[in-house]
Amino acid sequence: MKRDLALLPATAICLAFVSGLAYSIWQIAITIKPVDLPGLLGKNLDQSGVENPVTAVLLNFRSYDTLLEIGVLVIAGIAGISVARTSSLEDPELRTSDTLLYALQRWLIPLMLLLAGYLLWAGSDRPGGAFQAGAVLAASGVLMRLGGIPMDFLRPGIMLRLGLSLGFAVFLLVAVTSALHGGEFLAYPPELAKTLIVVIETVLTLSIAMVLLALFVSAPVNNAEEPEEGGSG
Amino acid sequence: MTLWLMAGLLFTPLAWAVLTLLAGFRWGRAITWLGIAIQVLVSLALWAVVVRDGGFQYPLGGWQAPLGIELRVDGLAVTFVLLTALVAAASGLHAGFYLDPDKQWHRYFWPLFWFLWAGLNVVWLGNDLFNLYVGLELISLSAVGLVALGGQSEALRAALRYLMAALLGSLAYLLGVALFYGEFGSLSLSGIAFALRQDSARDGAGFALVLMLFGLALKTALFPMHRWLPPAHGIARSPVSALLSALVVKGSFYIAARLWLELGAPLGSLALAQLLGLLGGMAVFWGGWQALRQPKLKQVVAYSSVAQIGYLFLLFPLTWNTTEAAALQAQQAMTLQVTSHALAKAAMFLSAGNLIMSVGSNRVNALAGVSHFLPFSLFSFGLAGVSLMGLPPTGGFAAKWLFLQASLATGQWWWLVVLLGGGLLSAAYVFRVYRASFVEDSNIDHFFHPARRLEIIPMILALLSLGLGLMAEPVLSVMALTFANGEGT
Repeated sequence: MKRDLALLPATAICLAFVSGLAYSIWQIAITIKPVDLPGLLGKNLDQSGVENPVTAVLLNFRSYDTLLEIGVLVIAGIAGISVARTSSLEDPELRTSDTLLYALQRWLIPLMLLLAGYLLWAGSDRPGGAFQAGAVLAASGVLMRLGGIPMDFLRPGIMLRLGLSLGFAVFLLVAVTSALHGGEFLAYPPELAKTLIVVIETVLTLSIAMVLLALFVSAPVNNAEEPEEGGSG
Repeated sequence: MTLWLMAGLLFTPLAWAVLTLLAGFRWGRAITWLGIAIQVLVSLALWAVVVRDGGFQYPLGGWQAPLGIELRVDGLAVTFVLLTALVAAASGLHAGFYLDPDKQWHRYFWPLFWFLWAGLNVVWLGNDLFNLYVGLELISLSAVGLVALGGQSEALRAALRYLMAALLGSLAYLLGVALFYGEFGSLSLSGIAFALRQDSARDGAGFALVLMLFGLALKTALFPMHRWLPPAHGIARSPVSALLSALVVKGSFYIAARLWLELGAPLGSLALAQLLGLLGGMAVFWGGWQALRQPKLKQVVAYSSVAQIGYLFLLFPLTWNTTEAAALQAQQAMTLQVTSHALAKAAMFLSAGNLIMSVGSNRVNALAGVSHFLPFSLFSFGLAGVSLMGLPPTGGFAAKWLFLQASLATGQWWWLVVLLGGGLLSAAYVFRVYRASFVEDSNIDHFFHPARRLEIIPMILALLSLGLGLMAEPVLSVMALTFANGEGT
């Protein structure tokens, strides 16, 4: 009985939340939007350099958001590697000797790399792009890691940090350089828009994969090092 | 000129994050000094431009809202940009000497510090609901990373708890953004406010506003959703605690305030406004009471943040359906409270770090005798405390005075209890630290003496917070500046 009473406020909150949400969605369904954003997007799509509206929004119209989102991913990567020691790369416990996995890898990894490349390329005119391709690339890295293939670049050294920041750095460089040509910030020159977007997508793919892979590899946290300030007294 | 200033402001922190990520701690520190100099100069220059010409809208990538993202550069935004530059510069300089360069994980302090600064600038200038969300994420994730930096399991636990609270807050905010987008087809805050002025029958968006305010209040650690804050702010390194208390919680509050001032009138309600004010008032008492009882010095300061954040939420009842003059007073009070608390709290955490370093213990009782050895840091701590108590001529006094006037002007006399009682409680916890430090204890004779530069930085911040009360008039006149062409206020 007491337990049921304790559930009461939680149930009330959930009910209020669901009914509020339902009412809002109902209101959204019956009112007309004052701004027609998809229409506006369609009108400006030919100036964006790519044919896929999603890629156009991500890398041109709202490229500032995307730049910052990549920043968020880099932060996640940094936070991950800053709390973990990656000595576990050689940890024999983490290395499998599964023959099935090993045999499958020889088939899967080339296919997955190909798929990542395709997703990246497809991003310019149909669904796909850096995030999807990066995720597939990271997944193949995870498979390789599980299969015990040594990947020294995942140790917390300069290679790892370079890989983490490469996509973000190139994106940022493009943004600043385009400004030096007198335009607004993050405004690509129209004739170069397509090339720049493809270059950015490619390096982003690498960095996104690197962040995800680094988080996977540095996930086990050992006993950490630093006591609290004045904690000994 | 403006173009270069905006570029400097938005892109320097991001570029410096990359540079310092590639460097080690000592190189990172040198690079950071250069970056701090650039950021402070750019923030000052942008502030001067807005003071001279008024604010402006800045479309990124040349795409106007609603298709692209527009930034809103007005008096309030540049005031907070400048405040961030001051406090972040002080914390960054302090950290450079405070953190041990030989511990290899400290190198990650610099990139996280710069990402945090970048996120703060995004939030102050944001006028696009989704862009503000991205800014919030930049801030929260780098703050969590900074709390966890190389820490033991306690620090990781605090960081993880902080992460969960921040994520829940972000998700609630994001759901609100999605509902707003569904209702209005636009993400631009001024665009939505404009649409609401044309047609105020859109009450479906009220739920979205409530969701967003809930998420932001959770991220601001409003009572009773404050429990993640003291462990996180208490256990982080002192320069990190200073950044977190002074700036990070203000970021989410600032978004809540902007939403309320733009959309509160058509979408809010008396009950919501009074509820937020009531929770703020309870935060003042609960935070102050807890600060009085904490055995650890930094927990005292962290709970004091919970209390001081409470005052900010008086903005909501004092601006809802009140006269224009009273609403303006409440906004001015909020700005002064944010500014003076940021300066005072940064000073307090930095000097608390020095005191802890000196006595080698984080307990309040261990401070016995420190008044002989570290009078300078103790004095900074006390000066910051004077501002928190709200004694004249500090910025804290000016803020509370304006809140008081706004409460009387709107007939909401009950907030007076909060304003007076909160001041007494803060006096009590500041004096408790002082009492402990003046106890004579001849058994201890091994005080460590921190470098003089570590002591000067909090002193400057404390003096600024003290002087803010005298400077309130010019600060407030800049804050009120809106756009040069008079539209979109």
